Amino acid sequence: MRRTLACALALWATSAVHAQQVQVEEFKLGNGMEFLLVPRADQPNVIAAGWLARVGSVNERPGITGISHFFEHMMFKGTNTIGTSDAEADRELNQQIAAIGERLRDMHLTTQYDRWRAGEIDDPWDPANDTQEMVTLRSHMRAAMESQRETIVKDEFDQVYTSEGGSGMNAFTSEDLTFYFINVPSNKFELWAWMESDRLSDSTFREFYSERDVVYEERRLRTESTPTGKFQEQFDSMFWMASPYNWPVIGWPTDLSSYTLAQAQEYFDTYYAPNNLVGVIVGDFDPAYIKPLIQEYFGRLERGPAAPSVVTLNVEPQAEMRMNAECDCQPQIEVRYHTVPFANEDSYALQVLASILNGRTGRLYKQLVEGKEIASSAFANSDERKYGGAFSFRAETKGDATPEQLEEAWYEIVEDLKHNPVSDHELQKVKNQSLADSYRRLQSNFFLLIQLALYEAQGEWEYINTQPMAIQRVSPRDIMDVANKYFTKTNRAVAIYERKADAPAEDPALLALDPQFRQMAKQSAERIASVNDVTVLQQMRADMEARAGEVPPQFVPAMNYIREKLDARIAELEAGE
Amino acid sequence: MRMNRAFGLTGLALGCLGALAPVAIADLPTRPEEIEYQPLEFDPPQRSDYRHELSSGVPVYMAPSSEFPLITVTFSFKGGAYLDPPNQTGLANMTGAMIRRGGTETVSADELDEQFDFLAANVSTRAGAITSTASINALKSNFDEAFALFMDMVRHPGFEPDKVELFRKEIIESMKQRNDDAQSILNMEWEMLMYGEDHFEGRQPTIETINNITIADMHAFHAMVFQPGNLIIGVTGDFDSQRMLDQLENALSGWERRSAMADPPAPTNVLEPGVYHVEKDIPQGKVYIGQRGVMRDDPDQFSLQVMNDILGGGGFTSRLVGRVRSDEGLAYSVGSRMAMPPYYPGEFRALFQSKNRTVALATKIILEEIEEIRNELVTEQELQTSKNSFIETFPRRFESRQAIVNTFIDDEWTNRPMDYWETYRANIEAVTAEDVRRAAQTHLQPEDLAILVVGKWDEIAPGDLEGRASMVEFFDGKYEELPLRDPLTLKPMKK
Repeated sequence: MRRTLACALALWATSAVHAQQVQVEEFKLGNGMEFLLVPRADQPNVIAAGWLARVGSVNERPGITGISHFFEHMMFKGTNTIGTSDAEADRELNQQIAAIGERLRDMHLTTQYDRWRAGEIDDPWDPANDTQEMVTLRSHMRAAMESQRETIVKDEFDQVYTSEGGSGMNAFTSEDLTFYFINVPSNKFELWAWMESDRLSDSTFREFYSERDVVYEERRLRTESTPTGKFQEQFDSMFWMASPYNWPVIGWPTDLSSYTLAQAQEYFDTYYAPNNLVGVIVGDFDPAYIKPLIQEYFGRLERGPAAPSVVTLNVEPQAEMRMNAECDCQPQIEVRYHTVPFANEDSYALQVLASILNGRTGRLYKQLVEGKEIASSAFANSDERKYGGAFSFRAETKGDATPEQLEEAWYEIVEDLKHNPVSDHELQKVKNQSLADSYRRLQSNFFLLIQLALYEAQGEWEYINTQPMAIQRVSPRDIMDVANKYFTKTNRAVAIYERKADAPAEDPALLALDPQFRQMAKQSAERIASVNDVTVLQQMRADMEARAGEVPPQFVPAMNYIREKLDARIAELEAGE
Repeated sequence: MRMNRAFGLTGLALGCLGALAPVAIADLPTRPEEIEYQPLEFDPPQRSDYRHELSSGVPVYMAPSSEFPLITVTFSFKGGAYLDPPNQTGLANMTGAMIRRGGTETVSADELDEQFDFLAANVSTRAGAITSTASINALKSNFDEAFALFMDMVRHPGFEPDKVELFRKEIIESMKQRNDDAQSILNMEWEMLMYGEDHFEGRQPTIETINNITIADMHAFHAMVFQPGNLIIGVTGDFDSQRMLDQLENALSGWERRSAMADPPAPTNVLEPGVYHVEKDIPQGKVYIGQRGVMRDDPDQFSLQVMNDILGGGGFTSRLVGRVRSDEGLAYSVGSRMAMPPYYPGEFRALFQSKNRTVALATKIILEEIEEIRNELVTEQELQTSKNSFIETFPRRFESRQAIVNTFIDDEWTNRPMDYWETYRANIEAVTAEDVRRAAQTHLQPEDLAILVVGKWDEIAPGDLEGRASMVEFFDGKYEELPLRDPLTLKPMKK
């Protein structure tokens, strides 16, 4: 990268503005794998390195949603060299476990789905509803997993890097890409080349089933136990309609419980061929030194068939969409519009528009947080992806304000943007910030690595150089045009979140019970409350008395509780007759 | 084995050979341990090489670099939330934020924001628990203009009343959300249990303490903390050192120097061991397990770092992740940390989240691992992996100039021994398996642990479907039900 003082001084000139340019050396292997090299010495001794696979949730289909992300987890599980002390025994057990996994999956999809259809069970995937045969299979699987553990070298992939000074090893999956990255000491580039090319050529996906549970926990953590997670997932799904962006990156629960080893292998074969991968390396290195290493290590990967293209684009929405949610959250609103994909010509005006709205001197803060004082926070975002885009307005209420008031106020702001050009001062401020940010975002090796990967996956890495210049060209007219073009009623989806009224308090008599029996007692009480036939209840009462002497002493308080509920319900029904 | 990696600067030589032809796979090392590396010599930077002093005695750490036309100046003041009077909890936080948001004596808040934004200068001020900062990152081309505004703001904040009231309302709105997220309930209750409500780590603002804060109080807090007797400056970016020192000398001239702040107090609270629970209807229980720890300069500090790294601090190579996550698939995130702060004893804390039914099982495994590391020696490989990791990642601590400057500012505030970084790697290297066991035995006492669970108790208590663990196993099944608190007053709510 070269720094040119002239660029900085030109910042305030209205013409001939130049942003910082990143110099990237592109390097392509015979097998089709590309590399982006950015040597920079300002942060000595460290190299940030990663590689991306051009695959994400957008490449999935119903039945395997979330597999891109799950697969990312499996890439850390080792190879025939890393992660096992006995590759052959390991392979054999892996096959055994996989076979049991396939059988269990079949039972879920046949027996359990049938039982669910018949109303016998509420959730075909809940292990509490397993048939006896499934319980047995699960215990066989556990036994095989325990035997496999004897030859597993626990998380050796991580251990090798850790003991050589690798740090920040991780990966992420989005709709459009999967990216694996780490920082290594600058003398250990070859270790990275060894480790990454090994897992790209020889992964075994061991510990598949326990990792599936880990990913389910990740879903519980990020989506199911956050204040708005589940609702945002539903809103996304509604908003994206026909587009494959309509399922979550983490995947739907059924799919998450059902992947098999064979599916993972097929996914790997389809999307992880070198011709679908791009390496990115930023930091303290000499390209002349690392290129031969890249050639030797990654050159051994075999080119595969071209990955299948994504076909389905979204359909044009024909009507406004609305969602009303009640959650444990601050009342809030999101208004979201369909826009344009990554690097589309209109995307720059949309980005500038978002910047004009954001920040403490932006229009949202000035008009909603100050001004009308109806929002405690408000922001706008333009999100451009490979196969579509969205522009969002989000705000949380303040005091007694309602989400509907926020919605109304947003439409006023939109009307203004449609009919009046933004001031030169506002526009210049955003452009000044964009230019300063074009330097700021290059300061960290690691952040630069992530940006190059994102841009390359969604379009091309050159975006890092072209985007700041495109921002400088946006005019007030462009902003009015995009506001008129995209901010229409049929093109939008609105999510209103209200705070859920307090849940009814738990019965104190129930809380006094031993927690082991609480759930059972509670369910019994609910069942009793739903029965309307006195004779059924009287029969239950009689059965209970008949067996009263047999129950273990610790169960007696729970039984007394159920008896009280029965008597109360019987009295209630008899009084009603 | 590689043959062509043995020479000093083979990198260039290889490049010249144009060795881009595919090499037979047989040539590559079969295991990563067989790779030979060129040595990487790294000497940590010396504090004295970066340290300057203004005529007033204010220390300035500088690390110039001309890679980008940006300059960052950070003012670090000693003092923060620990200085809050109990009936005005939140004063430091409000003052810290309002210095940036309330204008100056002569420039209105709106005008100040507008100017900083137009100059594309990122300016922030905040008061944390122990230190307060004011920082500016601006383009070199307009640095002088932006920095003059910054100095006016730091020295003469306006605390404009309508902006103060606006911020007060924002704080109250965010308070309303305290019970929405289980994680925030967990954090708040844990700090109260661990440090007590009479210590600043456990004390939380309420609507009452926030409403008690006046603009005069903020002026007083600012005058006490944001002043040169209490200040260390850090500068990085594209500047000339001598010119910068002159500029700072000028900027600080006539600024009254007052006395420095005392160290923060130690907690007096004694953590009551046992199981605690807060009810929240979510599909996943969130858990902390911990006890009081030690201070940074404890004689066992290096052994404790290695011990915790092997137990649960070291990510995937740690035991807790290995058993709870990889083996059993019970949690996405699980681990432990050993916080050893400089002024008072910190804490050991293990944490995880798991579906309600397996909370007990994961808890049981963590307690087993605590017993294990207390009673058995860690393996030689675990010890080496952990020590290597500390030693090999050591240069990253100083990877950017900003990181170097921040480290030295912190070192000076907390009186870290001058030879600390110089001897750090040798101190880590000296830790033995016996040291690790002794440190675990001394500082991890299973009977002193508190276990805090936020989640749905009627699903959590019975344990997993296979009957491998239930909550009855811990502390004889006794547990204390902590009521949810009113988010504004923090008074317990009635069921």
